[in-house]
Amino acid sequence: MSARTSLLPSAVKTRGTRLLSLAEKWPTTHSMEFDWDPAQQAFRAGVRAFLAAHLPSDWESLAHGPASEAQSAFSKRFCAQLAAAGLLVPHWPQVWGGRDADPWTAFILAEEMWEAGEPRGGQYMNVNWIGPTLMRFGSPEQQARYIPPMARGETIWCQGFSEPEAGSDLASLRTRAQKHGANYRINGQKIWTSYAGHADTCFLLARTAAGREGISIFLLPMNTPGILVREIPSLIGEGDIHEVFFDDVEVTPDALLGAEGQAWEIVRTALSLERVGIPRFALATRMLHRAVEVLKKAGRFGHGAIEQAARARAACEAARFYSYGIVDQRRHGIATGPEASAARFATVMAERLASEFVVEHVPEGLCGRDALLLAHHQRAVVAGIASGAAEIQLNLIASELLRLPREPR
Amino acid sequence: MDFRLSADQEALVAAVDKLATQFETKPTEFHGFALAGRELERELEEGGYFDIAAVPELGPLGAAMAVERLARLPCTAEIALSMLVRPQLAGEWPRPLALVENSRPGPFVATANTVLVIDGDNVGIVRPQANDVEPVESLFAYPMGQLRDGVKVQPLSSSEAANIRKWLRIALAAEASGLLQATVAAAVEHITLRKQFGRPLGTFQALRHRMAECAVLAGGVRWLALKAAGTADPGDAALAAFHAQESATRVVYDAHQMLAAMGMTLEHSLHLWTYRLKALVSELGGRGGQALAVAADCFGKAG
Repeated sequence: MSARTSLLPSAVKTRGTRLLSLAEKWPTTHSMEFDWDPAQQAFRAGVRAFLAAHLPSDWESLAHGPASEAQSAFSKRFCAQLAAAGLLVPHWPQVWGGRDADPWTAFILAEEMWEAGEPRGGQYMNVNWIGPTLMRFGSPEQQARYIPPMARGETIWCQGFSEPEAGSDLASLRTRAQKHGANYRINGQKIWTSYAGHADTCFLLARTAAGREGISIFLLPMNTPGILVREIPSLIGEGDIHEVFFDDVEVTPDALLGAEGQAWEIVRTALSLERVGIPRFALATRMLHRAVEVLKKAGRFGHGAIEQAARARAACEAARFYSYGIVDQRRHGIATGPEASAARFATVMAERLASEFVVEHVPEGLCGRDALLLAHHQRAVVAGIASGAAEIQLNLIASELLRLPREPR
Repeated sequence: MDFRLSADQEALVAAVDKLATQFETKPTEFHGFALAGRELERELEEGGYFDIAAVPELGPLGAAMAVERLARLPCTAEIALSMLVRPQLAGEWPRPLALVENSRPGPFVATANTVLVIDGDNVGIVRPQANDVEPVESLFAYPMGQLRDGVKVQPLSSSEAANIRKWLRIALAAEASGLLQATVAAAVEHITLRKQFGRPLGTFQALRHRMAECAVLAGGVRWLALKAAGTADPGDAALAAFHAQESATRVVYDAHQMLAAMGMTLEHSLHLWTYRLKALVSELGGRGGQALAVAADCFGKAG
């Protein structure tokens, strides 16, 4: 055995068996802190007050169908009000309408919005990653054209990634953008495209050459001739997912984001902005509490339900702090690693447990008795699928966090 | 929210890590059920580590960090209750501490100088005499012991009892957090090295995904344990203990599946972590007991 290791010889002295800290030697300017600071509390209170003042009394029934006709129209009005109050893009640079707020501000905002049923609709994507991606990779003309309407809450985008033959294996996508004179001519099909029915612009991945390095990004106005959008009726809600067909869609070269073949790099950056993704645990926790209240009032919160509720509640809390860990890394300029995949998977599991609790114990929630319980279920069923399958996250955790040997290809 | 460690916390983590490094390996000749870390305990005692929670700059959160790091060792000593529960006791109660629930055997009871006794809704405390306790043989990887019948116990008030139950939950979660990390690491090491069908087991997606899920569970327990130690909120303590016991049942099973027959041997260290987790799974009423605490402290408030 080596020589004894005394505790903190340079930071802490002992008095008998008691430890005496020498805080003056290493001034403690911070310590691991699990509470919100006063500014963060005030910001959250401000967001809640805004929601209380601006969500209509029938909001919860409107929340059913995040891309429905009614919610899309409401979201445009609501986001413009948010923007006017400085609550749409506070974390964006001042030059683009923000106030350079830190990542905690953005995440508190996202939590409150999602917990309220996401009244921003599809515009959360603009706020979280499309706007910031254009700030980094867009030309001055593209930035001037697209970013201000996002900052004013006036525009809806859709994400043209998945195709019938390219889901998790995104690099196998087939939609082609071929040179046609000075322009590009786009042909192909996208599928599962959220918000396409009301989108003004598509963030489109298309192939300009073979291989992963042959994929490019086009900022494509959805009113360009040759685009056909067809809604796919789904469990997720009215107007959520679509097929989008591109038939000789001609675009000028200024629609290209970055350089030809730069899509993979840009998408990786965009996804890193969206790493912790939607704070699904926030609505899941709220709905869990609501379901428990229903059971308590009916005298149905018995032992079986109690244990399942505890399981879901603990999973929601674990997901919350996993996500906070990523936000904290971002706040301190630490590169986010595979912990983000762990945060995402923890969130998927929490969403699943909360949703299954409602299905088993408050099935009336799926029968029209409570619009937000229903809306939550519809969002929860897609938690492990949207933005990339949960199983892809498990692959990343296995390879990058656990350092397990990779599968042979 | 700010998860950076203070200079004091960083120094603590480094010091505990340095101390722990000396005890990372199991003696090759040891083939028993519980590996008692007497030298580890002496080092902790003489270094003043059992009083971490009393240092204002470190507090219970620092103690929880130490508990989880030390739980990752193959050897064990009575650490969690001394570091996280003993500071909550009014008066002088000498360590080691142990917990006896409803007359069942418990870890470290045979060598404890202070025993907490849970009997239904009541919590009491006693300084046992030598003939009040006796060791018990078991599969668990803690030295188990029991309190003989008829030992007179000093009851705690209901508020003291509630506080002690809360800190027992936090101690359980912090200890389980370290054990879960060690269990996952052992399983990952095995399937990285062990080859079947001409390639490492860790290349098979069925196993990779299971271990990834276990790692996510272990990480979640760590977050909840540290948070509970940081906030001292009874709801946080209940959630942390529930998630620890819930995750332990899953991770222990999966890790033994990964190691297969090798995990059944006393030669491999796996059981030194998993059979401590199995002991913790039954504590404080098990998941059902934690669920009732979650119901009272989390769902009791307006939803």
